[in-house]
Amino acid sequence: MENTLKFSSTYNGGSAGRRTDEWSECLQLIAKNEDRAAFTRFFRHFAPLIKAFALAGSSLSASLADELVQEVMLKVWQKAGGFNPEKAAASTWVYTIARNCRTDMFRRLQKFDTPLSEEDVMPEQGNSEEPLAMLQDRRSRESIRKMMSTLPPDQMQILAKVYMEGKSHAEAANELDLPLGTVKSRVRLAIQKLQIQIDR
Amino acid sequence: MAKYHPDLDLLTEYAAGTLPLAQAACVSVHMSYCEQCRRTVSQLQDVGASLFEGLQGEAVSESVLNSVLGQLDDEAPLSYVGSQDHASAIGKTPAILQRLMNGDYTDLVWKKITSSLSISYLKTGDPNYEFALYHIKAGGKIPEHSHRGAEMTLVLEGGFSDADGSYHEGDFIMREPGDAHAPTAVQSEDCICLAVLDAPLKFTGWKYRWMNPFLQLSAG
Repeated sequence: MENTLKFSSTYNGGSAGRRTDEWSECLQLIAKNEDRAAFTRFFRHFAPLIKAFALAGSSLSASLADELVQEVMLKVWQKAGGFNPEKAAASTWVYTIARNCRTDMFRRLQKFDTPLSEEDVMPEQGNSEEPLAMLQDRRSRESIRKMMSTLPPDQMQILAKVYMEGKSHAEAANELDLPLGTVKSRVRLAIQKLQIQIDR
Repeated sequence: MAKYHPDLDLLTEYAAGTLPLAQAACVSVHMSYCEQCRRTVSQLQDVGASLFEGLQGEAVSESVLNSVLGQLDDEAPLSYVGSQDHASAIGKTPAILQRLMNGDYTDLVWKKITSSLSISYLKTGDPNYEFALYHIKAGGKIPEHSHRGAEMTLVLEGGFSDADGSYHEGDFIMREPGDAHAPTAVQSEDCICLAVLDAPLKFTGWKYRWMNPFLQLSAG
């Protein structure tokens, strides 16, 4: 594996609890009062993560990574009013914006001529309004973050390839020199461990 | 309620944003019919967010912050009236299709393939996939064909059945290369499906085999 993604040494499967609420509050302050101090706090925390995400496994240059940071943070400012803390964690909300902007940037670089933006294809929040479902969704958000740190390294490695580096299962298999079936089954095992509900 | 869904592999790739545009658009149309899949995808996005939070940050210079702060004056926060959610699409045409069609099914140019099948190609800009609407007359049959590549099908109106099952509004079906079938629309109403292909169909019955050389992928 040529470049291993770096996770912070304090990695504990993401920060649940109090700090998460701090970022939700920031977003609400931005939406309500156009609060620049809150925006700056939010920027100082998330901009380095967005830049790391931009650079993960991709061919983006440092200056394009900075451009992505700007694009994402401007969207955060504009769209803060659409964030609903009942339905999503602030970090998930930012992550989806960063993911969409990165995909759009790749498509621009490849001169894709499309009437669609990634936002059209990947709507940000679409969860149930039904109280019981909302409670279940919140519990599962918390447990996913807790369980992440219990995943074995081979499963973490593949999740990082897929989610952070934006590789398809087939590309991940290629890069790790594994059969496609192995990649798929590791992803599925990880998803199972995280107790994601697929009620069919 | 939809009974046939994208599998977990597809939903994970969708949530991670790694599906090709045309396929992602098709999965997204299924999501507009299916709350279960919306909830699963939202949890799969939490997995991504959790990895994102754990990344070791890359230093961002103060000039980037200042540049963003300088642009905030021109960019007032948007106001949100109600929710912009991917609300249930039952009974109406999914928004993303309306966008691609510039209107409704009746505004499209339909190309007649057989007496009961017409096709209209939509442009997504994805150079590798054909993104087309199939209109099958009530009770009409599509000649038996196999798939040279992978095919996603999503039922938008009416329904159809083949040897493996019967499919209705919102149902999502994935066919792998080599699968052959002869879908028949329900008797009661016309069926409209969305089909996303990465290689042209291949008719297998003797009556229609002569058409194969003319079936080309209309990607883009």
